[in-house]
Amino acid sequence: MAKAQKGQVRVITGNAAAAYGAMLCRPDVATSYPITPMSEVAEQLSAFRADGLVDTEMVEVEGENSAMNVVTAASMAGGRVFTATSSWGLVFMYDAVQQASGFRAPVVMAIANRETPGILAVSGGQQDIISMRDTGWIQIIVEDCQEILDSVIMAFRLAEDFDIQLPVMVNYDGFYLSYLATAVEIPEREDADQFLAPLKQQPERPRLVPGEPLSCGTHGIEIGFMELRYKHCAALERATAKLDEIDKEFGEIFGRSYGGQIEEYRTEDAEIVLVTSGSATGTARTVVDAKRAEGIKVGLVKLRLFRPFPRKRLAEALKGKKAIGVIDRSVGFGWNCGPMYMEIRALTPEIGIIPMLSYIDGLANLDITIPHIERVIDEVSAAAQGKPYQEVTWIPMEE
Amino acid sequence: MVEGTKKRNKIFDYFREKEELYAGGVAWCPGCTLELTARFVPKVLGKDMVLVGCPGCSAPVFYGQNVGTWHRMTYYSCLMTGVPSSATGLARYYKKIGKDATIVCFTGDGCAADIGFQPLSGAAERNENIIYICYDNEGYMNTGYQRSSTTPLGAWTSTTPVGIAGKGKPTPSKNMPLIMAMHGAVYVATATLSHLEDFAKKLLKAKEKKDEGFAYIHVFAPCLMGWRIEPDSSIEVCRAAVRTNYFPLWEAENGKFRLTHEVASPKPVTELTKLMRKFSHLKEDGLAELQKVADERYALIKSLCDASK
Repeated sequence: MAKAQKGQVRVITGNAAAAYGAMLCRPDVATSYPITPMSEVAEQLSAFRADGLVDTEMVEVEGENSAMNVVTAASMAGGRVFTATSSWGLVFMYDAVQQASGFRAPVVMAIANRETPGILAVSGGQQDIISMRDTGWIQIIVEDCQEILDSVIMAFRLAEDFDIQLPVMVNYDGFYLSYLATAVEIPEREDADQFLAPLKQQPERPRLVPGEPLSCGTHGIEIGFMELRYKHCAALERATAKLDEIDKEFGEIFGRSYGGQIEEYRTEDAEIVLVTSGSATGTARTVVDAKRAEGIKVGLVKLRLFRPFPRKRLAEALKGKKAIGVIDRSVGFGWNCGPMYMEIRALTPEIGIIPMLSYIDGLANLDITIPHIERVIDEVSAAAQGKPYQEVTWIPMEE
Repeated sequence: MVEGTKKRNKIFDYFREKEELYAGGVAWCPGCTLELTARFVPKVLGKDMVLVGCPGCSAPVFYGQNVGTWHRMTYYSCLMTGVPSSATGLARYYKKIGKDATIVCFTGDGCAADIGFQPLSGAAERNENIIYICYDNEGYMNTGYQRSSTTPLGAWTSTTPVGIAGKGKPTPSKNMPLIMAMHGAVYVATATLSHLEDFAKKLLKAKEKKDEGFAYIHVFAPCLMGWRIEPDSSIEVCRAAVRTNYFPLWEAENGKFRLTHEVASPKPVTELTKLMRKFSHLKEDGLAELQKVADERYALIKSLCDASK
C-alpha cells in the first residue's frame, strides 16, 4: 500500500480524536447517549453528520443498553457500526455487550474509562473495563490522543476481519485523555479508505436480509452452543497476531505504530520491568529514562491488548527478568491485588518464579505521579536483589 | 367466523392463499391465541419482513429448539431489554442502504410493558419506522404465570396468589395501548383474535404507514394455562373481552381516535370473568372494582374518540 500523505495536525481532545477516527471509517449506523466524560464523542459525531462529513445514521437513543442493541442489530444486517460510552453506561449495556460478542457482531466501541460502583466517582479509573473482562470482546487500551484516533481506525480492521468478526473496545483514560487537548494528526480520508479497503476484498459475512429465511440468535443448546463458544475463543486467539499485523501495516502507511499487543520500551537489556497501561505509561517512560540515567536497568511494557490477553508476547518480554512491578488503575476484588497483575502472575510457568509486585494507584482521578513510579522502581529493584518485599501496595494508602 | 357475517369472510383467503411459513406442529399450547396471532401476522403482512423478538412464549418456535427454527422467516432475536432498539438498528441500516424493509417487533406484555418499556418508549418518541405488536396475555405466562404490569386488578397469578391475606393483584393493569398513543405514534390500535378482519385491517394500515413512522398494535391474547381457561374457549374469551368493553377495539391514526367496533349493548365484565378461573376468587366487591376500571377506561377512550370527530 502507498504511504499516506501528511494529514492535518489539529489540537483536539481525546474524545474528539475518537470521533475523528470513527468518522474516517464512515460507519453506517452510530448511536449516542451522553455520559461524562465521553459525551463529546457523541456531540462531535453528530456535528460531523450535521456538517455532511458522514452520512451515518445517527440514533440518539434513550439509554446505553439501547445504544448497544441498535449497533449490534445494524451490524448483523451488514452495517459498519460505532458507539461510545463510559463507566455506568458500559455497565448498563452489560447484557447487550455480551450479546454483541456472542453474535460475533463486529461492533467498535470507544470507552472513556471511568470508575464504576461505590460512592459516585465521576472520575477516571479502569474498573469499568475490568468488569468487561469476560464478555468475549477484544479490549485495547491506549495511551494518548493520537493513539485513540489511530486505534479506532485499526479497531475496524480488526473487528471486521473475516477471520475475527468480534467486537472491539478501544479504551482510553477518562478525564486524563478524554479532555486532554493535544496535537493530533488527522489522516486524510482517502488514506483511511485505502487502509480499510482490504475489508471489501474478503468474503461477505452472513447478514440478515428481509424475506430471506435466516434467524439470528436462535436457541442452541448442547453441541451447537459449545461449538459457538469454541469458535469464539479461537477467533479471540487469532486476534492477537492479527492486531500485530494490522499495527505493522498501519505503521508502514501512516508512519505510526504502537507495538500491537504490547509496546516494549528499553526492555531488551533490562533486569527489572514495569508494566503499565493507558495514560500512566507516558509518566512511566519518563521515570524509566531517569532511572536508567542512574544506572538502574529498568524497562517498561505497555499492555495494549487486555483481551485476548497477550500471553505469548508478554512471556517473551518478561522472561529472564529478575523482578516485575505492575501498576493497576483498578482493583481485583477478592484477590486484593491489581487485575492486570493477577493475570501476569498467571504467566509464572512461562517467565519463572521471580518477585512480582502489585501496585494499585490512580483510582478515581488520583494522579499516578513521578514519585509514585520512582518508588515502584526502587522497590522492584530491591526485590530483584533478594530483599524482602510487599506483594501488594495501595500506593496512596501508604503515603 | 367473524360475528354478524353470513357469507364466508374474506379473512379465510389469508389462510388459503398465502404460503405457510411455519412448521406444521409447533411448540405452542393447543388453543393458544399467541399461535394464532403469530401465524396470522405474516399471512397479512407478507414474508418480506424482519421479525424481532425476545425470550417469552413466542421464543420456542421463533428461536427453535436446537434443531433450528420452526419457521421460514427472517428473525432477529435479542434480550427482553433490546427489542425496539434492535429493530431500530435494522430499520436504520436498511434505510441507509436504500432497502425497503418492514421491521416487526413481536413480543409479549412482559417485554413491552415492563422490562423492555424504556426502549419501546424511546423508539416511539424517535418515530422509528417499525411496527410493534404486543401479544398481551396479562402476565409472564412462559415462566409460569407471574404477574406483569398488564395483569388486571384482582387477578390470580403465581406471584399474586390468593389466600387469607392475598387477594390477587392489588393494582389495575398498565393501560399500554393508550400510553403508546400518548407518545404521538403514527398509528396505534388494539386487536384480538375474535375479530380477525379488524385485526387484518389494522396490520395493513400499520404497514401502509410504516414509512411515516412508529406503529403499535396491542393484541389481547388470553393464555389458556395461566388464566385457567378451557382449551376450546380461547376465542370466546377474546369475544367476551370485546363485548364487555373490557378490551375495546380502537385505533389512533395520527392522533385521531376511532372505535373500530362499537358494542351496542355491552355486557357486564362478569360475562368475561366467568370464562376463566383467574378471577374465580373475586366476590361481588372485587368484580365491581374490575367493572369500574373497565367502565372508566372505556369512557376515556370514548371521549378521545368523540373529541377526534
